[in-house]
Order: sequence, then structure tokens, then C-alpha cells
Amino acid sequence: MIRGMTRLKAALEDFGGMIFFALETLAWAFRPPFRPGLILAQMAFIGAGSVFIVGVTGTFSGMVLALQGNYAMKQFAAEGYVGGSVALALARELAPVLTALMVTGRAGSAVATELGTMRVTEQIDAMDSMAVNPIQYLVVPRVIASILMFPALTMLFNLLGYLGAFVMGVYVAGIPVGPFIEHTRTFLVPADILHGLGKAVLFGGVVAVVTCWRGYSATGGSRGVGEGTTRAVVSSSIGILIVDYALTLFSVGT
Amino acid sequence: MIKVHDLWKAFGENQVLKGITLSIPPGQTYVVLGGSGSGKTVLMKHVIGLLKPDRGTVQVNGVELSALEGKALTEARGVFGMVFQGAALFDSMTVFENVAFPLLERGHRPAAAEVRERCLAKLKVVDLGEEVLERFPAELSGGMRKRVALARALVSDPKVVLYDEPTTGLDPITTAYVDEMILAAKQRLGITSMVISHDVASAFKVADRLAVLYDGKLVAEGTPAEVKASKDPYVQRYLSTWFEKQ
Repeated sequence: MIRGMTRLKAALEDFGGMIFFALETLAWAFRPPFRPGLILAQMAFIGAGSVFIVGVTGTFSGMVLALQGNYAMKQFAAEGYVGGSVALALARELAPVLTALMVTGRAGSAVATELGTMRVTEQIDAMDSMAVNPIQYLVVPRVIASILMFPALTMLFNLLGYLGAFVMGVYVAGIPVGPFIEHTRTFLVPADILHGLGKAVLFGGVVAVVTCWRGYSATGGSRGVGEGTTRAVVSSSIGILIVDYALTLFSVGT
Repeated sequence: MIKVHDLWKAFGENQVLKGITLSIPPGQTYVVLGGSGSGKTVLMKHVIGLLKPDRGTVQVNGVELSALEGKALTEARGVFGMVFQGAALFDSMTVFENVAFPLLERGHRPAAAEVRERCLAKLKVVDLGEEVLERFPAELSGGMRKRVALARALVSDPKVVLYDEPTTGLDPITTAYVDEMILAAKQRLGITSMVISHDVASAFKVADRLAVLYDGKLVAEGTPAEVKASKDPYVQRYLSTWFEKQ
């Protein structure tokens, strides 16, 4: 019981620390000096570096959705709806969520490890001692880059996912091109794509803050860095799912 | 002038500092000696504002550092240079990028030629030349890393330099070299220094004033001769580990 209370207290303190960390990051983001070079470097790492894994995941997700959709819709002789339903599922849900989860695994873990190593080898303290704020130098560029690149990667996921679904649906499953495209036009409206991109922006912020916090607050040498990285990926993934649920509930209701 | 008054700090149940009071006059080298876990690094991190005291104050040139937060604290740290125990060089940057870091990232950026000139000048103070500029920290020996760390600490012409265990893990020749570096930085640049160490020989070589930290308290404080003459049993035992060898 006492151990449980202690763990709960530690978890609440950790969460509170992360909220303050996020607010501090927000405050430092609007103070000069601004460092566009660092933001671009992080955009290259988080965004351009994730193109392959997001592209592959998007393509295969679209292909699988088309095949599964075709299998289900065939029972009602409604194969023509596959294109529209896949496009809608991708735009509103699968593209932002799967992109965020994939980027968390690839770039989020690297961010947590890098910052954690810098923390335990006193590189972050060294930066502080040189009158350079480490949150402004290390965290702000990563958060801005994530907020910008997550929607871009989500859009890539959408495009390749739909392309994969089109190839599978039309050329493998034999769905006629006309209904496939026509129902996509009917089902999918720009608001659906914007809904997904809005989610991606929030996921980018959540993943960047959580992974940076886990690295920034790492303690206890290489083991601490390893634990921090694991917790970064787990906490970010759970954060993505909770935020996704909340946003979906808010936008479509029950 | 650095003034620490009645400084207390605990981490959970562990009371690390128990009412530390000391002052370091400008241009002097102040060494804090103590065993592992005595709280030396914690004391130094309070002096530069990396840790907040539970009680007590830290003043640097009349500014109460322990009361500052955020941007004001970051700016107040501009008077400091710090050499960390493990050098704490940025491992993703070259030697040049490491040494130039405080010049390039503190706001006002000097011209590229001036940055290079100032970096080379400070590397020369620690006996390193142009040939190391493009190397990464992983390609340097432990002693070279410490020297680069000192060059980085000196490059923005700080008024105060803090040394965290500068000779730990170094061979005797490099240790002597680091001692010379600390003395040279004081004599050539007029810098106020605070050194924390468990190396008695080095401490007596570089110190103008000395203190011995034990169980969170300063058990002896004064000139090296005064500390050597201390009657405190811990101080006698601590110093005898080195003086008896002589």
C-alpha cells in the first residue's frame, strides 16, 4: 500500500515535471536567439529521415485495407465503396496515428537517447554553465521540427496509402476504377484531411515533449538512459492513443 | 567575489549540505577538498546556479544567483566558465565547434575570423594547436579532452572558472600539467577560480585558500598552511594520506 502510494506520488511528480517542462519550452520558443539552422537539422532528422519507414508503412497499410475492405464489401456487392472507405480511414485515423507511432519508434527513441546521454555525461549542465539555455537550444528545435514534420509525413502516408489501396483494389481485386475514385470523392472531404493533419500537429508536440523530457530528466548512467528511452517510447505511444481518442470523441461524438 | 552563506541541500532523505558558508575573493583560487560523496559537486553546482538551495544564499559579484530563475539566471551565468569532471565536451561537435560554442550561441555573434582567432588563442593557453580543431572528442586522450574543456571554459573571458575534479583519472604527468594550467589561467588572465578535488597534492599546489568538506560541513578553512595545521581529526586523517608519503 505504502509502496503503491510512493509510486503514485513519483508518477504524479514526474507528470507535473513534464507539464512545467512543456510550458518552459513554449516560453523559450518565443525568445531570441532563434536558431533556424538547428530547426532545419531536426526537420531533416525527424522528417526526411522518416520518409522511408512512413512510406513503407503507408503503402502496406493502404494495400491491406483495400484487400480487407474488398473481402468485407464483396459480401454486400459493395466493392465500389472500398476506395472511399480506405481514404476516409487513412485521412482521419490511420495516417496520423500510424505515422506518429512509427516516428516515435524511429526518431523519438533517438531523441530520448541523445538527450539522456547528454544529461548523464553532464553535457546539458555544461551548456547551462555556458549561459546557453539547454531547453532553448536542444528542446525547442526538436518540438518545432516535430510539429512541422508530423503533418507532412502524415500527408505522405495518406498519399502512398491511397496509392497502395488503388493498386491493390483496382489491379489485384478487380474493383472498377470509376466507382473506386467516385466514392472517394463522395466520402472524403477536405475537412477529413484537415482533421487528420490537426491530429498530427498535436501528436508531433506530444511525442517531442515526452521524448525530450524522458531524455532531459534521465539519471543514473547508461542504464538510466536505456530506461528513459524505453519509457519515452511507451509514454509517447500511450499519449498518442489517448490524444487520438479524445480528439475523435470531441469531433464525432459518441 | 563569491559568497556562499548557510547553504543547505537535501536529496530526499539524504542531507548533502549542512550550512556551508564561504567566500572567495577576486583573483584567488579556492579549493574545496573532500572524499567521494561529501557534497563537493553539489556545492559547486549551487555556486553556478545549476541547483537551487533548500536554504541559504549564493552571491556572485553582488548578484544573488540562488534567487534567479529562467532568462535572468542564464544571463547571470555569463561570468562563469566551468570545467567538468568528465570534460563534458559535446560529442557530436568537433573541437573547434566545442570551443567556439559559448561565442556563437550566447546571442551576440562575433565575426567568423574573430571566433577562430579567439578559439586558437585559448587552445594555445592549454598547449593545443590548429591540428586538433577538426577532431571529435572521441578521438582525443583524457588529458587532451580536459585541456579542450578548459579552453572552452576560458574562451568567453569569464571572471570565474569552476573546476570539478580536474585531475581525477589522469596520470601524474597530465595531473601536473593540469595544475600548471589552473595556475596559468589565474596568473595570465587574473581569473577567480574554485576547484573541487580529492587530490591533496594538486590542491596544495594551486590553492590560495582551502576548505575541507566532510559530511556536508566545512571542517577546516583557511590558507593551505592553516588547513595543514588543523586539529580536526578528519582533516588530519585526510591530509595524512598524502603528507605521510612525502
